[in-house]
Amino acid sequence: LTEWRLITGRVLLAAGMMAALWLLWPRRAVTPAEKQALAEGRSILTYWDRHSGHEHEARKALIEEFNRSQGHIYIRTVPIGYNALMEKILTATAGGDPPDICSLDGGMLAQLAWQGLFLPLDDIVAATPALRPDAFMGHVWPMVAFDGHVWGIPTTTDTYCLLWNKTAFRKAGLDPERPPRTLKELEAYATKLTIRSESGAIEQMGFLPWLPWDNSFMWGRLFGGRWYDPETGRCAASEDPAIRASLAWQQRFTSDPAAEEQLPYAMDVERIAAFTRGIGDYMSANNPFYSGKVAMIGEGEWQVTFIPKYAPGLDWGVAPLPQPEGVPPCGYGPTCIADVIPATSKHPEAAKAFLKWFNSPRPGGGPSPASDYNYAIHNIPCRREDALQDRFIGHPKFRVFVEQLLEHNVVTYPVTPATQFFTDQIERQRERVTFRKVTPRQALEDLDAMVNNELDRVRTLIRRRMGS
Amino acid sequence: MTPRERRNLRNGLLFASPWILGFFGLAVYPLVMSIYYSFTEYNVVLPPVWIGLENYRELFFEDPLFWKSLYNTLYFTVFSVPLALAVSLGIALLLNRKVPGMSVFRTIFFLPSIVPLVVSSVLWLWVLNPESGLINTTLYHLFGIEGPGWIADEQCSKPSLILMSLWSVGGAVVIFLAGLADVPQTLYEVAELDGAGRWAKFRNVTLPMLTPVILFNLVMGLILAFQYFTQVYVMTGGKGTPVDSTMFYALYLYRNSFYYLRMGYASAMAWMLFAVILAATIAVLISSRRWVYYQGE
Repeated sequence: LTEWRLITGRVLLAAGMMAALWLLWPRRAVTPAEKQALAEGRSILTYWDRHSGHEHEARKALIEEFNRSQGHIYIRTVPIGYNALMEKILTATAGGDPPDICSLDGGMLAQLAWQGLFLPLDDIVAATPALRPDAFMGHVWPMVAFDGHVWGIPTTTDTYCLLWNKTAFRKAGLDPERPPRTLKELEAYATKLTIRSESGAIEQMGFLPWLPWDNSFMWGRLFGGRWYDPETGRCAASEDPAIRASLAWQQRFTSDPAAEEQLPYAMDVERIAAFTRGIGDYMSANNPFYSGKVAMIGEGEWQVTFIPKYAPGLDWGVAPLPQPEGVPPCGYGPTCIADVIPATSKHPEAAKAFLKWFNSPRPGGGPSPASDYNYAIHNIPCRREDALQDRFIGHPKFRVFVEQLLEHNVVTYPVTPATQFFTDQIERQRERVTFRKVTPRQALEDLDAMVNNELDRVRTLIRRRMGS
Repeated sequence: MTPRERRNLRNGLLFASPWILGFFGLAVYPLVMSIYYSFTEYNVVLPPVWIGLENYRELFFEDPLFWKSLYNTLYFTVFSVPLALAVSLGIALLLNRKVPGMSVFRTIFFLPSIVPLVVSSVLWLWVLNPESGLINTTLYHLFGIEGPGWIADEQCSKPSLILMSLWSVGGAVVIFLAGLADVPQTLYEVAELDGAGRWAKFRNVTLPMLTPVILFNLVMGLILAFQYFTQVYVMTGGKGTPVDSTMFYALYLYRNSFYYLRMGYASAMAWMLFAVILAATIAVLISSRRWVYYQGE
């Protein structure tokens, strides 16, 4: 009997281990659709989507259309989202299991492409009429094509405008159809639209330059300044009076403990921090602009789909962001979202076939899937012709955004091997300035020193790698 | 070696092999490689480039955030570790009393320790919310006090995190409880015969007999506090805001490795942290000769 028990035990142990192995073994196909695709002999590719939520759903629908349109490639989509995208790409690539295609932001693309993470896409650009560089908006292409190669196919781009809550305007006795047009007006409106409780807590904020997130780079450019000198390849912000003025302007939204009299629109920095901490999720009805806690905000064109979805009752308007007097109007298209193929992708040719399909007009001359994608999520298409389609330019609110990129000289983030570091440091310095730890001049000197140090380091490294 | 011994050795090694493989593959190898990487520029994708002591030079002489993050971490450690020791000892003493339903109280105090860190961080983000959080709302409605900005306030952010860390002292409490159960009853009886009151018994019996447990909890607390990361990563979105006041060492290390692809620099930082933790632990262990008593000594 003991022997019998021993044998049963061993058999059970072996069966348990087999079951565990079977459960843990990596699978090429998980869902029924993937299993069917595998049975049909298709290659199964993974697409990492930088967008999530309803934006990912729109992308997924188009990718499913691609899966149906042919019989040898099946693409599975994974909504990776924006958070920690860099970490995820890096670890997946280092671990030898990167996605076959990935969408990411231009700044991240620049930083990772220099590190050799992506496959050059010159061949499909040359072979695909829809991907002619001059078909794209002028500011977009340099973000994906540098160092002699094309590293990504841009699909969407963005810009910012001033959004205002018409109900809040009415309550404050302002004309709801007339947004502020100059910085002076913006400040005056912010004063009227800011409501504080008896204790001094901010109940409604008129305007804050760093909501919904830090936009110091944009403000510097709208003030006519330049953070980065592409000629010398260096950060030269401290020498630029316009950049300094833009930081000083942001600082004036926080009250100055040393001053005897405060500007009427200045708020206590701790109160601001408390207020911004207390606001709800961006992609929800608790977004402070939707819930009426912020009356005016610098926001992107995607709000044309976001607001009907999360705040259907909101009465809002859109206008270009005010700029200082005398500064020529400038468009701001900080970045684009581009599709890249990791250098270690297991199916580079199939991935290229997908990119070609996604960006080309549909058979019969219909708009490209990329254009449909932009329409579904209301982002601005990177191809000029697409942006001029009536469904984009004909929309009264969306039109205001698109015009920013079509009618003015457009400025973007600099394309450097340390763009992420650069923009992170700008945000850090802005925080130091608005918390009145340093003067704008000192902050910019620190910024120049840190960023140039980092640029030097990365460039030396790139040179050393090329040399070896 | 007899055949039987050889067989035993083989079987022993075989049974220990998962651990041996895991230890060498997942601990020794990365440890040794990170020493090497700390002398290189390395982004995990391309082969590392040897740069000698450059990373260390930059850390010490060129990187203000390195010093800031070290300061933040030391600040947190110096306040949170002794405070956590005192609080967990206090709770353990209370939970050591013989009253009905004690196991329920013990469970309640231990529960926070098994809540995943990410979950408890998000929870505390709401509790500490300056506008609508539990603490400030209560302060305002019950006492009419305007609460501080907690985690949003540069002055309060580190104390907030220290306060928050006290929430999960359950693990230390359990160890203290085990230590308390180990104190021989005879000592208390002898002390009582000598006329010792409650305080005298605590001061002269409980505390000395608990010193080995205090030492253990102190060293573990130090190590964990120096590596403080998850909470601040979740609560500040990895940014260490406001104004770098919660830029802890491990967070800055993480930023360097995964945001700026500087694995070599991050490895150098990790070894510096190792040196700091080692020094602190050795200092505690040396000092322990003066204040730790073992039974039977």
